[in-house]
Amino acid sequence: MRFLIMALTLIWASAAGAQMPDATRIVTGHVLPHYRALAEQSRALADAAQADCAPQNPALRDAYGAAFDAWIGVSHLRFGPSEAGDRAFALAFWPDSRGSTPKALGKLIGDHDPIVDTPAGFKTVSIAARGFYALEFLLYDPQFNAGDDPVYLCSLIQAVTADIAANTAAILQDWEGGYGALMTAPGNDTYRSQTEVAQQFFTALSTALEFTADTRLGRPMGTFDRPRPNRAEARRSGRSQRHVILSLQATRELAALLSDNDQVLDAAFDRALVMAQDLDDPVLAGVADPQGRLRVEVLQQTIDHIREILSTDLGPRLGFAAGFNSLDGD
Amino acid sequence: MKYRTLATSAVAFCLGTAAMAQDDVSKAAVLETYADIAAAKYEDSLITAQRLQAAVDALVATPSAQALAAAKSAWLAARVPYQQTEVYRFGNAIVDDWEGKVNAWPLDEGLIDYVDASYGGATDENAAAVLNVIAHPTFTLSGAEVDATEITPALLEETLQEADGVEANVATGYHAIEFLLWGQDLNGHGAGAGSRSWTDYAQGEACTGGNCDRRGAYLKAAADLLVSDLGFMTAQWQDGGDARAEVMADENAGIVAILTGMGSLSYGEQAGERMRLGLMLNDPEEEHDCFSDNTHNSHYYDGLGIQNVYLGEYVRVDGSLVSGPSLSDLVAAKDAALDAEMTGKLSTTMMALGRIKTAAEAGFSYDMMLERGNAGGEALVMGGVNGLIDQTRSIERVVSALGVDAIAFEGSDSLDNPDAVFQ
Repeated sequence: MRFLIMALTLIWASAAGAQMPDATRIVTGHVLPHYRALAEQSRALADAAQADCAPQNPALRDAYGAAFDAWIGVSHLRFGPSEAGDRAFALAFWPDSRGSTPKALGKLIGDHDPIVDTPAGFKTVSIAARGFYALEFLLYDPQFNAGDDPVYLCSLIQAVTADIAANTAAILQDWEGGYGALMTAPGNDTYRSQTEVAQQFFTALSTALEFTADTRLGRPMGTFDRPRPNRAEARRSGRSQRHVILSLQATRELAALLSDNDQVLDAAFDRALVMAQDLDDPVLAGVADPQGRLRVEVLQQTIDHIREILSTDLGPRLGFAAGFNSLDGD
Repeated sequence: MKYRTLATSAVAFCLGTAAMAQDDVSKAAVLETYADIAAAKYEDSLITAQRLQAAVDALVATPSAQALAAAKSAWLAARVPYQQTEVYRFGNAIVDDWEGKVNAWPLDEGLIDYVDASYGGATDENAAAVLNVIAHPTFTLSGAEVDATEITPALLEETLQEADGVEANVATGYHAIEFLLWGQDLNGHGAGAGSRSWTDYAQGEACTGGNCDRRGAYLKAAADLLVSDLGFMTAQWQDGGDARAEVMADENAGIVAILTGMGSLSYGEQAGERMRLGLMLNDPEEEHDCFSDNTHNSHYYDGLGIQNVYLGEYVRVDGSLVSGPSLSDLVAAKDAALDAEMTGKLSTTMMALGRIKTAAEAGFSYDMMLERGNAGGEALVMGGVNGLIDQTRSIERVVSALGVDAIAFEGSDSLDNPDAVFQ
């Protein structure tokens, strides 16, 4: 019960005199292009797996990297279409504090489970054995990528990639087929007002930054006495630092649109990005020594500072009074 | 007899409510009831834990199939009042800081005792996942040598619990005891719970699983610790206790504590972590009481605890009723329709959780419901999840109707669009 819990951000709106962001620009200039890129890269990934499913195949690994990059580019937009039918969970089950992913994959392989034979069947499989993080184990973990049953492994890789492609296409279809309009023309049951639309984006932005600071960076940091480099995100494919950077870039773009290019806010993102790039530590292994840990910690504080600007400055300007935060708990 | 006790008190309660409607319900009186119910629930948890402790002592002293069965029954009975206390957890820091000692979950049970080969070994997350303290009088933990020749409550509490900073290293509490009584449930999604043999506690050559004396010592230490931990929490809710004082200190903050407890347990904890996530993972170990297959009750009594805190009435394990001015009365005085909505949604949830419970008791156990592609199981579990999410919306409305301070409920990223709840 202790993992996955995070505090919700509650926002009360008081719209009077608020500066309203341009929802149409955000949807058409930010959300749709990024989800389109994800659907395209995911399709290319599935095609690459059909062409040659060997885990070491460079074309497959490149396609995997490009599609995973595209996912990180939208992973802050977790509402609406991404949440229908557990789609986003099935694309990205992480963190996995109980090792459910290797366990679920090991069981499929051990059982030679024929569920991989049809897309409809594979959709019913545990979210732990689907999506980008499961695929990382299959492509990069020696426990899986050099198994003694390359035929089943191939079917499994093809099933996972086809499932990713189907899921991302469905999300895009929902965005293009009506959900985008709910946001650009509020006054419906989902979004009653422009303020609610702005709230949704604001919450997405703030939650994504919290996830990067507390989970992407915080999990491997562990405690000073007990750093946990093995908990770094996607370390098997060497993508941990990359995800921090990509996520900061994507949220920076949304922040600029939401804040009408606020320069103070943008400068804060810039500082964080320079720091993240300077880490020069793909798997955040540096957390294990005091020097490296300090650098990650400073980056974490810089991201927390962005969140502070959001809640004390941007939020009130958009007409939200941010109340709260997390009551302790888990 | 029990029936009569209940009926009499119920009459008294009805009269009480009628009289109260004429006056304004005071927040202080509502908080008084809230604290009284807490005191009764924790005392009931203590009483039933003492019965469990006695049954464990009997099992270890004279192992037999009957003695093991008696200890299991005592464990199941002890869960009934305890689960109803969980609504006190979020919102009362004193409870939340403490509850991990008695109800931490999920656990890497290989820390404690032998496990099946399918369990695997040490993981990225937990180097001590298969430590097996019962088989090893000495071992290395986080680089330090540990002398565990004597298994004591202190060893469990101070050295093993959350060993190496890993929360899955659960060495104490209900679920550690559950594992020691039932053993691993190796039936996957099939029918049946853990089937540990009583001979795991047998003396001499009859001993199975090895180290029966150490296993008995572990079980006794865990039961002793449970009793002392529950004794501590019971005291906190008596007159003059810290938890009661904290709740009574500020009326608005006290009401916020009640609502936070109701909302956070409903939403992030029960609907999210304990129910929806297990369904998405299709993992039979993602059931809260996975060794005993008692998860249906665990969920049911969690829900009942939320309901009885709102209604201000709790039936004790001896059948007597504790009741008084309630949050329901307070809301009704402000907005009768909202109280009806809240009461109705709590009932709907209990109906949904009741369906899970009855199906499980009839043989369709909770781990079977989690099986991949099991549409009936998914519908049952999601019925509970949806009821809990829906009642959280009404709890939110209650917060604004009462005009108490801003509140944040525990969320969960295993829930569909968590933000929508508050829109």
